[in-house]
Amino acid sequence: MKFILNLTKREIRSSWKRLLFFFLCIAIGVGSIVALRSLIGNLSQAVGGDARALLTADFVVDSNKGFSPTEISRIESVIEDSSIIEARNEIMESSAMARPAQSGSEKVQFVSLKGIEPPFPLVGNFEMPGGKKFDFDLLENRGAVVAPILLEELDVKVGDKILIGESEFIVRGTFEKEPGGSGGFRLGARVFIKKDAFEEAGIARNRSRVRQRILYRTSANPTALVEQLREKLKGTSLRVLSYRETQERLGEQFERTENYLSLTGLLILVLGGVGVWNVARVFVEQKRKAVAVLKCLGAGGNTIMLAYLLQIGVLGLLGSAFGVLLAQIGLWSARSAFNDALPDTMSYSVAFGTAFQGILLGIFISLLFSALPLLQVRNIKPNLLLRDDNNDEFRTLDPVKWIAGIVCLLLLLVLASWQAGSFVVGGFFLVGLAVTSAVLYFAAFVLIWFLRKLKKFGSFSLSQALNSLHRPGNQTKVILLAVGLGAFVVLAVQSLESNLVREFDFSRNQRLPSFFFFDIQQSQVAGFDKLVLESLGEKAEIVPTVRARISHLNGEPLNYDNRDVRQQQGQIGREFAVTYRSDLDEGEELLEGFWWDETETGLPQVSVLDSMAETLKLNPGDSMTFDISGRSVTVQVANIRKLDVRNTRTAFVFVFRPGVLDDAPKSFAANILKRVPANQRQRLQRDVIDRFPNVQIVDVAEIVAVVQKIVENFVLAISFVGSFVILSGILILIGSVSLTKSQRVYENAVLKTLGAKRRTLSAILVAEYGILGLMAGLIGAVFALALSYAVSVYILDIEWQANLSLFFTGVFVTVALVTLCGTAASVGVLLKKPLATLRSQ
Amino acid sequence: MITLSNVTKTVKSGSDDLTILNDVSFEVPDGQFVSVTGASGSGKSTLLGLIAGLDAPTDGDIYIDGESIVAMTEDELADTRSKKIGFVFQSFHLIPSLTAFENVLIPLEIKGAADAKERAARLLEDVELTNRGHHYPSELSGGEQQRIAIARAFANRPAILLADEPTGNLDSKNGSHIFDLMLQMHDANDVTLILVTHDHGLAARAERQIVLVDGSVDSDDLLTHKS
Repeated sequence: MKFILNLTKREIRSSWKRLLFFFLCIAIGVGSIVALRSLIGNLSQAVGGDARALLTADFVVDSNKGFSPTEISRIESVIEDSSIIEARNEIMESSAMARPAQSGSEKVQFVSLKGIEPPFPLVGNFEMPGGKKFDFDLLENRGAVVAPILLEELDVKVGDKILIGESEFIVRGTFEKEPGGSGGFRLGARVFIKKDAFEEAGIARNRSRVRQRILYRTSANPTALVEQLREKLKGTSLRVLSYRETQERLGEQFERTENYLSLTGLLILVLGGVGVWNVARVFVEQKRKAVAVLKCLGAGGNTIMLAYLLQIGVLGLLGSAFGVLLAQIGLWSARSAFNDALPDTMSYSVAFGTAFQGILLGIFISLLFSALPLLQVRNIKPNLLLRDDNNDEFRTLDPVKWIAGIVCLLLLLVLASWQAGSFVVGGFFLVGLAVTSAVLYFAAFVLIWFLRKLKKFGSFSLSQALNSLHRPGNQTKVILLAVGLGAFVVLAVQSLESNLVREFDFSRNQRLPSFFFFDIQQSQVAGFDKLVLESLGEKAEIVPTVRARISHLNGEPLNYDNRDVRQQQGQIGREFAVTYRSDLDEGEELLEGFWWDETETGLPQVSVLDSMAETLKLNPGDSMTFDISGRSVTVQVANIRKLDVRNTRTAFVFVFRPGVLDDAPKSFAANILKRVPANQRQRLQRDVIDRFPNVQIVDVAEIVAVVQKIVENFVLAISFVGSFVILSGILILIGSVSLTKSQRVYENAVLKTLGAKRRTLSAILVAEYGILGLMAGLIGAVFALALSYAVSVYILDIEWQANLSLFFTGVFVTVALVTLCGTAASVGVLLKKPLATLRSQ
Repeated sequence: MITLSNVTKTVKSGSDDLTILNDVSFEVPDGQFVSVTGASGSGKSTLLGLIAGLDAPTDGDIYIDGESIVAMTEDELADTRSKKIGFVFQSFHLIPSLTAFENVLIPLEIKGAADAKERAARLLEDVELTNRGHHYPSELSGGEQQRIAIARAFANRPAILLADEPTGNLDSKNGSHIFDLMLQMHDANDVTLILVTHDHGLAARAERQIVLVDGSVDSDDLLTHKS
């Protein structure tokens, strides 16, 4: 054992430079996995642990159509019997249009309005400028506290008056952070007003646009009470949410995200493993004589292998520890880069458990990927010191290696499953990785074969470069696999991004409206129509809308006790804006059933959008009952419709046959297509709001900007991870170059002796890495296009277009990177004096 | 005692079998100094390799102290080498990643010797390279490397020293120095020494001279003098 330990120590001392890439490959892989896991873990802890603050209560009763007296009394009957209620309040939320009260300003802004009453918040706190405490008096007498951004957007200051709905409010202050945080995706800046003022401003008049909540703070776990409430509220569309469930749901979501991100980290680590395998392979090749000497001196094959495995294990441990350090640095960087977007309470430290897991993974991957090359040590015969004749035997695969290979694969499967939190996902990951690698490897094989055919062409330098790519012991396929995989990941993400961004590029879709207007009253239609026509010269498309809620399907009431129905409550229990018309719209296509004929009379009928029909399991001929302003309307499903969202102005889920809704209370929705500059958009909004304060306006450009921002962030995050893959690929490239340096040095010495100038040798080097980069770039880019096509068409269902500029830029950047790194790593070779090299051989 | 009994070694050369050693038999008593000479390709190095258990004969048997090494496993052979055999190569075969001192230390550590460091230091002293112990092989001259190799070969006080052209890569002065050193250590430790060499002058200084021709023993003579 002493011998093994001493040999390990000495080998590390003498070979550390050669194994530096091994160390870095593991460090980068472990760093990625630990950083990603820690980031999500800490975020989950900060957000999940803060679910109570997010909800600003212990539990909430939520309604999107107000509370009826019966519902209120049912709630109260449960609450009165409970001894754990500490406090209660009600809030109302809606979107609204805000504009400065002073005349002459053209500013108008969509805001997210919240009407509150004391005590608010029940849980959490406002953060006010200068550390002041929130005072409810700020909201008295039509006061408003707004997000600072609104001051900029409306060009107003604290003390100024703004108009919201039919009321005038004084901006009494701003807040830095509201209770519950930003709460994710939101259109429009937050404005707090008193709940009474909310109702007075006429915003609550259209109840369907208002979300109303009763919040409770409790002195103990509210779960039992929540269950009781749910039981009592059966048959209503009210939802009861407890912070504990929110916490659990968030926890599950974060766990899933963490597992998937861990797989991304594992991908980088496995790529690092490929680097380890390559280093170990070349290391053993280079150590053959030393192993033979050791055997000659009496050391057994297993002893030597154990010493090398120990060496790998120690390096794996050190590399992993360094990786944890890198992860910590990465987390600190994340704090400085994304501080605004991440919760204040979030920790940026690597958790001990995560670090331990990362180190364990690093050591495992190191041992797994070096085990096969190290097994070769057993086959090295000491007689190679006398005659180097066991090469063939050295290269053949023996049964032990096959068994070891299978064991390694199984262990890798265990690791992947562990990281993914699922055996199936882990299996898919491994199979996916194997298939991708096999395809890339095969492509590399074909390209090399093709180049071999070409080697007789071109200059001396080019021929030599081509020869180098398939010299014995070449690293071409490994480099192509590693760098190609890196290029593939990054380019696939970029290619997907360009297709996604184009999909949301609102200037491309001429049928996507630039504005939507809602809640136009019957009496306002003519005036609104005239105003738009005069302002833009375009006639708005105005359609009647009726608010309807599904109450029965085929005579059966929607049963919210049913888990499936409850899970989809947000989707099917909401109030729908429905319309009626006699024709199919442009961009709509009939999938099943028939479209109604105007002359035909009969049952009231409805057309259902395919996605909703699927959710509700509806077919033509089924019956649906809608609750329309308290009146039940039963209709027959006439047909199932498909909508081309790229070629439509409106997207109604339910379209009724004319006649059914003629007498129903309705408002109108309008949209216009014309693209106008920002100032004209502002003016139009202002004009509409001035004349019709109840009308709500959605500026599509703003939505598109928000969506694009989300897509960009998503792509940035994936590209960031992808860049680690590229980094691993580059490391493998540099590692491979260094590993084959001695061979290159010798070849160069011979060429120099034969009269080759440094310039020629440099040209060979540049050509070699240029060709290698070109092949890696081509492989990565072609497969990236293929993947982006598959994901766009088959998964995202968006239009796909090959981005050729991205393709060529990707190939060019890969060529430049590989040439630069390869040449830089080999530059020492050019400077070596040939005599010393030749004498040492 | 080393015994070779009808040893034949055949290797594949392309699609043909090439016989390197053909039915070789002889015995070497303990403590004897035997030189093996012959033309290139006559099978000298192969013979030495077979005696050291570095390779297995195609036919025949080899005994070290009455024990057949042909049937031994790789690990048993390694153990035998560790305990009984020292080897000196023409191209030294020092481990480049280890210092001179560590190269000498390695066989002692493999064997698990308790006084490994002291003995390695003594051996370096014996070959007059104490001051070069911390140098790596690449920092030593050919002669110095071979002296380290000899020190290493004697590390475990082997009963048998096998030397494959130990002076072949050295100039005459260094060669002579190395040969003298080997003889001196052979005498001091009373080991069996089998020396493969091209140098007839050196071969003639052995107690016994075996000449190989095309893989067979052409002559096996006891010389009248002792060097």
